[in-house]
Amino acid sequence: MNLFKRLFLMLSASLSLLSCNDNDDVVDQFGQEILITDDVDCCSADEARQVYEFIRKVKEIPSLTQDIDNKYRLRFFTPTGTLHTGYNDIYVVVTKIISANYVKDIEISNFTPLMTMASGKVHSTSTSKTIDKFDNGILAVRHGWISFVMNSSDNGSWDLDFDIRILKSTQHLTLPISVDALPEGQKWITSFKVGEQSYHISLVNPAEWKVGSNNVSAYITSVGTDMKKPYVVTDKSFTVDITPSMPDMDYHSSPEGEPLTADANGIYKGVVNFTMTGLWRLHLTVKDNAGNIVAGGDENDHGFSTLSLEVSL
Amino acid sequence: MYLLLISLLFISEPDSTYKHVDVNEVVVSGARHNGQKRSLKGVAASIDEHLAELNHVSLIRRGSYAMEPVVNNMQDERVSTTIDGMKIFYACTDKMDPVTSYVESSNLQSISLSSGLDGNPQATGNIGGSIDLRLRKVGFNAIKPFQLGSIVSFESNGAVRMVEADVALSQDRFYTNFGASFRKADNYSAGGNDEVQFSQFQKYNIFANVGGKFANGDRLEATVIYDKATDVGYPALNMDVAKAEAIITSLSYRRTFENSFFLTNETKAYYNRIVHIMDDSHRPDVPIRMDMPGKSWTAGLYNLLNGQGDYNQLQINYDVYYNLRHADMTMYADNSDWQMYMLTWPDVSTLCTGIAASDDVSLGNGQSLRFSGKGAWQQQHIGSYDGFQLLNVFFPHMKRTYHQTELRIAARYGIKSGPWQFNIGGGWGSRAPSITEGYSYYLNNTFDNYDYIGNPRLSNEKAFEANASATFSSGRLRLAVDANIFRFSDYIIGHVEDRLSAMTIGANGVKVYGNIDHATIANSQFSSALQLSNFISWNANVSYGLGRDDNNDNLPLIAPLQYRSSVNFTKGGLDVVVNAEGALKQYDSGAKYGEKGSNAYIVFGANLTYTKLFSKVNTTFRIGLENALDKFYSTYSDWNGLPHKGRNVYFSVNLTL
Repeated sequence: MNLFKRLFLMLSASLSLLSCNDNDDVVDQFGQEILITDDVDCCSADEARQVYEFIRKVKEIPSLTQDIDNKYRLRFFTPTGTLHTGYNDIYVVVTKIISANYVKDIEISNFTPLMTMASGKVHSTSTSKTIDKFDNGILAVRHGWISFVMNSSDNGSWDLDFDIRILKSTQHLTLPISVDALPEGQKWITSFKVGEQSYHISLVNPAEWKVGSNNVSAYITSVGTDMKKPYVVTDKSFTVDITPSMPDMDYHSSPEGEPLTADANGIYKGVVNFTMTGLWRLHLTVKDNAGNIVAGGDENDHGFSTLSLEVSL
Repeated sequence: MYLLLISLLFISEPDSTYKHVDVNEVVVSGARHNGQKRSLKGVAASIDEHLAELNHVSLIRRGSYAMEPVVNNMQDERVSTTIDGMKIFYACTDKMDPVTSYVESSNLQSISLSSGLDGNPQATGNIGGSIDLRLRKVGFNAIKPFQLGSIVSFESNGAVRMVEADVALSQDRFYTNFGASFRKADNYSAGGNDEVQFSQFQKYNIFANVGGKFANGDRLEATVIYDKATDVGYPALNMDVAKAEAIITSLSYRRTFENSFFLTNETKAYYNRIVHIMDDSHRPDVPIRMDMPGKSWTAGLYNLLNGQGDYNQLQINYDVYYNLRHADMTMYADNSDWQMYMLTWPDVSTLCTGIAASDDVSLGNGQSLRFSGKGAWQQQHIGSYDGFQLLNVFFPHMKRTYHQTELRIAARYGIKSGPWQFNIGGGWGSRAPSITEGYSYYLNNTFDNYDYIGNPRLSNEKAFEANASATFSSGRLRLAVDANIFRFSDYIIGHVEDRLSAMTIGANGVKVYGNIDHATIANSQFSSALQLSNFISWNANVSYGLGRDDNNDNLPLIAPLQYRSSVNFTKGGLDVVVNAEGALKQYDSGAKYGEKGSNAYIVFGANLTYTKLFSKVNTTFRIGLENALDKFYSTYSDWNGLPHKGRNVYFSVNLTL
C-alpha cells in the first residue's frame, strides 16, 4: 500500500499565478509542501485543498504564528494580514509541522482580547462568542471576529488571551497583538448607552461596501459588568435607523435605506445606499422593540443624529 | 468669396432633391436665393448668429459661445440636429456643448430647419423640428478650378477676432476644398460697460472635403472636420470648459441613375467623437472643486434614395447609428482625504435604426401635398454595472436594457391661388426619452437649481401637431402668417422628489424626470416685407409662443412676444441695413419651474456691406453696429438673466480669388 500520496501544490500554485499571486506562501511559510498521509488527525487531500484555497484568499498575521510542543503550528489570518480598530474577521488554523497538513480537531475557547491601558486599567472589547467552524464545513478553519474599540498606542496595548485544545492537549496562550488605527474618515465602531447599560455597534467589513445599494451587517454587543470579559452580542433587540450624509457635500443624504434589524443569529442586517464615493457619515437612531428612541435620534446642526459612524468609499 | 459662392450654387449639382415648401434656411457661405436668410455678418458670423436668423429658432445663452438652439420653443430633447444627415450627440451633461458648437461657419454652406414633425430623413425624435447643418463642398466642375478664400474679422466688444483661409480645387472627376479658422474672444461687456467675467472663448477648426467621380457618374466623397474649443467661459454657470473637441468624419458613395424614376442613391458611413472637459479652476470661489468630463461617440450609416417623377418627388431613407455616452464627476473637498466620484451618465449606448419616407406630390392648379414619416426602433443599454446599481436604488427591478419605438407621420396640403398661398398640415409623433431624461444621475440644473435624476421607466412622449400658414405676395408687398400647435401626451419634465436630498451644494432639492398627462406648446409668427422703392425695403417680424402643462401652468423657456424690423438700402455692391429688435415683458414665465421672467427691451443696430472686384479679387467689406444705445438687457432665453453684449462694432473683410 502506498502510504504517501503527495499533493504537489504545483497545480494550485500555477492557478494562483493566474489569479491572486501574493499569497503563495500560505502553503507554508518555509515553502514546505503539504504531505497528505492517512493521518486521521489531518485533512484528506480534498479537505486540505479546500482549506488551502480558503486561506489563500486571506492573509496571515506573521507575528501571531506559534509553534506548540514543537509539533503543531498555530496560525492566524485576517483579510488584510493586520488588525485595525473596528470589526476584524479572524481565521485560525493549526498545522502539523512535519506534514504542514491541517489539524481538524482543534478548539479555541475563552477567546478574549484585552487592552492594558497606561493607567493599568484592563478592559476587553466586542468579540464573537465563539471561535468556531463556519460556512460549509471547511473542517480545519475556525472563524471568529473582534471589533477593537481603540488602536494600540502609548495609551495602551492589546493582547489576545485564549485556550487552545489541539487533539487532547490544551494550552493557555497570551499573545501580544498590534491594532492599527483606521485612516481619517473611517469609524466603524461606536458606543451608546441605554439607561446604565453600554453597548457597542460594529459595522461588519465596511471596506467591502460600494457605491450603490449595500446589504450591510452589524453587531450590537453589550459591555459587561466585568470589563475584562469579552463584550458579546446582546440578546436585547433594537432597530437602528441609518441616515447617511456627506459632510463634504453640505450633508447630501442618500435615499431609500432600510434600518438594521437583528436576524435569528443576532446579526443586524439592513440596507444602505451610497450615491457616490467619498466620506459618508452614518447617523444612527436606535429604537427599542416598541419603537421608542433609546439612543441617538437627536439633531445636530444639520438635523442628523449625533450618534454616528463614518465610512469612506 | 462671392465668386466661389456663385460657383457653388450654379455649378455644383444640387446635393439633394429635397423640396422645401417653406424655405427656412440660412445661407452661411453661398449666394442667397429665394427666401433664404443670411446673417448681417456674413460668413464671419458664428454658427449661433447664423442659427438666430432662422424662423422658429431661438438660442439659450449660457455664455458667448455654444448656444443651445431651441426650435418651436422646444429644447434639444425634442429637436434633432444632424450634420449633412449624420447623427451627432453632445457630451456635456450640462448642455454646454450643443452639437452646433462643433462646426464652424467655414464648414457650412447652409443651415436648414424643418419645423415640427416633418423632419429631415435622418431625424428621429424631432417633435419640435430638425436642424441639418449642410457642409460646404466645392463640388465638381466649378467655374474656377482653383479658388482661394480668406476672412478676417474683428469685433470691438470682447475683442472677438477671427481669421479663416480656405482653398478649393475643382475638376471634372475630382474636387477638394479645405481650410482652417481661428476665433478668439475676451470677456465682453454688457450695456453700461459692465464686464461679464468668464465670457471668453477660443476655438480653432480645420476641415477638408474630397470627392472623386467615376466614369459612370457615381461619386465617392469624404469629409473630415476637427474642431477644438479651449478656455471657454460660461458666465451663467459655475463652471467653464477647458476643452471641447470633436472629430467628425464621413465617407459617402453616391450612385446616379439615368432614364429612371430614381435619380440618386447615396450611402454614407460616418463616425464622430466628442470629448468635453469642464473646468472650474479659474473660478475664485466655488463650494467644491470638481472635474466633470464627458464623452460621446457615434457611428452610423444611412442610405438615401431619391426619385423624381412628373408629379412627385420621393425620398426613402434607411439609417442606423450607435452612440455611446459617458460622463462622471469627481469632487475634491477641502480638508478631506476622500475624493467623491459619481457617475452621471453611466455609459449609455443607443442603437437606433429606422426607415423614413417622404413624397412631395404636385396636384396641379397650384395644389401640392407632402407626406413624410419615419419608424425607428432603438435599444438603450446601461454599460456601467455600477451606474446601473446606482439607478437601481431608485428604480428597483429596472432593466439594464430598454427598447423603444419612435414613430412620426406628417402631411401637408398647399394651395396657391393668385397672390395667396395657403398651407395646412398636421402630424403625430413620438420620441424616446433622452439619455439625461432616462439615465442621468444628480445633474444640477442651474436654471431652477435642482439636481435631476433620470427615470428609466419613462413612457415615450407623444405629440399631435397642427400647423397652418397663409402668405399674400403681390408686387411690392409680402405678408405671411403662420402658426402651429403641439398637443403632447406623456410630456417629459422634472418632478420634485421630496424624499431625496440634493447632491449639489446649495441646490433646492432633487427632481426626477416623469411624464405628465399632457402639455401644449403653440407658436405663431407674422412677417411682412415691403419694397418701398427700387433700393429700399422694409421687413418686420413678430412672433409669440405659449406653453402650458397639464395643470394649465406655464412651461419654462417659452418665448414672449418678440419682434424685429429692418430697413434695407441696396444699390450695386452696397447694402445698408438699419434694424431694431426687441421683446415685451415675459408675462407667462414658468414660475412653477423656476423661471424668473424677463423684461421688455429694444435694441438697435446697423450694417453696411460693400462688395467689389479688385483685380480678380472679390472683396466684401462689412462694418456694423449692434446694440447702438448700449442697453443693458437680457432675454427670456438668457440663462439666469445673463446680460447680452453692450454696444459692439464689428468689421470684416472677405477676400476670394
